[in-house]
Amino acid sequence: MAKGQKWETKPLDSWNRAKELRAGWQKSIERTDKVVGQGNNTWFLAFPAVQVIEDNPAGSMIAAKSDSFARKSRLACEVRGWGREICGYNNTCWGGQFLGYQDDGSKFPYRQFVVPIPCVCDSHTKRGEQVKDFSPVPRWQLDFSMYLGERDPDRELAMYDHKTYCTIKQVNDMERIFNQEFDDEKLIKMMRSSSEVGKYRSDVSAFMRHIPAPLTAKDLYSFFTMGMLTKIDPDETVRFWKMFRDEVEWRVQNNIAAVGNEQFRWMEAHPPPWHYLKYYRYMEQKYGAVCIGSQYVSGSPMMDLDGSFTGRAYPSYPSDTKLETREDIFRYWAGIEARGPHTWKMDEYLRPYALNEFAQTYQADGALLGLWRSGVGCNLTRKEQAKKLREAGYSVMLYEGSQPGDRNDMDEMRFLDQLDDWMESQGFRPFTD
Amino acid sequence: MEKFKQLVENRHEYAKAWKAKTGGKVIGWFEPYFPEEIAYAAGVLPVRMLAQHEPDTISDKWVYASCYPASDLVNMFLKGRYDYVDGIVNVEGCQWMFNAFEVAKNTNPNLFQHYLFLPDYTDAYTSKDVLRSELEVFVRKMEEWTGNKITDADLDRAIDVYNTNRRLLRRIAELRRADQPVLFGSEAMNVVLACQVMDKAEMNDILEKFIEELEERKPAGDRIRLMLLGSETFDTSLEELVEELGANIVIDELDNGTSYYWNEVILQKDRLMALSLRYLGRPHNPIKDNNWRRRPQHIFELTEDFHVDGVIIAKQIYCHLHGSDNYAVWKILRERNIPFHFFERDMTMPYEETEQRLVAFMNMLRPGLTRLVGWHQPMTI
Repeated sequence: MAKGQKWETKPLDSWNRAKELRAGWQKSIERTDKVVGQGNNTWFLAFPAVQVIEDNPAGSMIAAKSDSFARKSRLACEVRGWGREICGYNNTCWGGQFLGYQDDGSKFPYRQFVVPIPCVCDSHTKRGEQVKDFSPVPRWQLDFSMYLGERDPDRELAMYDHKTYCTIKQVNDMERIFNQEFDDEKLIKMMRSSSEVGKYRSDVSAFMRHIPAPLTAKDLYSFFTMGMLTKIDPDETVRFWKMFRDEVEWRVQNNIAAVGNEQFRWMEAHPPPWHYLKYYRYMEQKYGAVCIGSQYVSGSPMMDLDGSFTGRAYPSYPSDTKLETREDIFRYWAGIEARGPHTWKMDEYLRPYALNEFAQTYQADGALLGLWRSGVGCNLTRKEQAKKLREAGYSVMLYEGSQPGDRNDMDEMRFLDQLDDWMESQGFRPFTD
Repeated sequence: MEKFKQLVENRHEYAKAWKAKTGGKVIGWFEPYFPEEIAYAAGVLPVRMLAQHEPDTISDKWVYASCYPASDLVNMFLKGRYDYVDGIVNVEGCQWMFNAFEVAKNTNPNLFQHYLFLPDYTDAYTSKDVLRSELEVFVRKMEEWTGNKITDADLDRAIDVYNTNRRLLRRIAELRRADQPVLFGSEAMNVVLACQVMDKAEMNDILEKFIEELEERKPAGDRIRLMLLGSETFDTSLEELVEELGANIVIDELDNGTSYYWNEVILQKDRLMALSLRYLGRPHNPIKDNNWRRRPQHIFELTEDFHVDGVIIAKQIYCHLHGSDNYAVWKILRERNIPFHFFERDMTMPYEETEQRLVAFMNMLRPGLTRLVGWHQPMTI
């Protein structure tokens, strides 16, 4: 990319709406009249008064907001037996449960049930054990069935049955235990909206190939949670995503850059150190270096099962399929998830190998790859793939740290020095020089 | 003691000799939930991929900052230590081992490879069905690979050999319940490890004779009785150290220790369902022990049955599974006044540091051991 190029830039109009929706969600989880649980499934929204809070973003936010509380939290877990090197999201969040309060001093919102997402890594599967071991609240496990190799639809049938049964049992149990009626009509609506949002996400992902990048990785991390970790009304979710998608398309058509002096496009591979997102801005302001995301975030909605980024075939809501019962709905959903396009666990085993494809498709100039201590899902074949990137002509920097949700071991000053060395070794000078 | 230790140490030579003798294939497995019976029924020798540490110059780029058994396995695989293996199988379980499987698979594309999904949610109504379906797929894959049709008779024979092996191992375990056991923990662990790398039929003959020997053996004397918990073990260095210090590990709850053989396949007409129920019903490791846990209660029952004076919990560094489970285990041990000592290790155990820790632990235990100070002796006031 040519040095010194200037692009027109403009703040995102969608930001204000995103902030409103996010604030509304934050307010909703602070309501005390709801049954609060640990989980992340969208279908919880079909209960009238159930609220789920996922420990993943909670842990990240605590790590970012208060180092001292995050340390206290982790220690509270460690002295009770939790491994010091298990997923940082877990210990940083659940320490508050043992302490009894949160980082702002308010009472810890004790969970009344747990539904872990059994995906991606062992820590996800065991997620919420802290809650269950702390007090005997209901915990419903799910399986993310997967297999490797050629697709075998017959093999998936039992997996669909398993997932469907387990999900329906959860819903039925929750109706009985919490005395709330599950709204099947709302569930169908959510399924439709999920399908539409999937398409919009893919579009936004594809727009990130454009030079100049219409968004940065920071934007992606903020917006891609809307309707997922940040759970909002299904119709509102679709409206928001359409607005966002259209705006990003307009930016691409008019070459509106996220970073006006973009001169270096770099990629990542997995989540960043959430407690130290400052480095994104550091790279932008000092070198005009913009992070275009990764195969983990921007590439994910586009990644096909062969690891390419040519586009993922999201199933649309099948108008010819009768969805008359709760089982029909969940069976359809399980069908998508067991091995199809939403299969996070499969993704996790495709992603590590897809760095070169991402770099090429998304027109990256270099890669900044984290090596996370004990990061069981983040480090597989990392250095080997770095070598392959270098062989293909991409500049690569590796840096070490504890996990994305754990700031224990990360040397932030050293990290910035490394970034300077990396950029200067490629002939870039800080704009301030 | 040496016999079984040597069998474990010479496992590569054993497998190579077995291949030369039978012309059969060897399949390596990574997780103790692997349904060995099916491979055995196809005439294949299943061997556990036991990690062993040696200077590592190669695994880092594949599995950076990994649990050490997994990175040592990668190191061994890439250096050709398992060059006699014709196929590899991973069963859904520990993700570190999955990573090792991935590297082995990708660097040896000509190997037969299979991933078998075994639910992490073992207690669901449909878990048995999904596992049965997966076993059926595995049977088909094995038939295609070996060219051997697996009949019900083949499965019956394999199940019988494996059940016999489990029964023999349980008989050895029962001998450890004696007030003064006739065998040490290191020996018992070497027996179990050897079973995981040898032809079970051959091993059963060895075990029959070994049990006869044990029944004639003199007890080793009264010692502090310890239980071993934690991550899987690949050698017996810890057990040997405990024995040097005057104690004995009389029982363990390790995934490749007693949990490997604790329950049998209960026969039924649908052989694959019988296998499915066996693997879903075995004493679980942490990744399979979810919701209403069984593992802490199982551990407690073992401490009672084997009259354990104290528990050692040895966790591999970076073991997420035991790192997530220890809270529940510590809790039950504390509630029931069972002393325990927790420490972390990797594939090479720091001898002196561990020795100091264990001496301190045993010194803490001794005053409370009524059995050792002589409860039946006249009181001297």
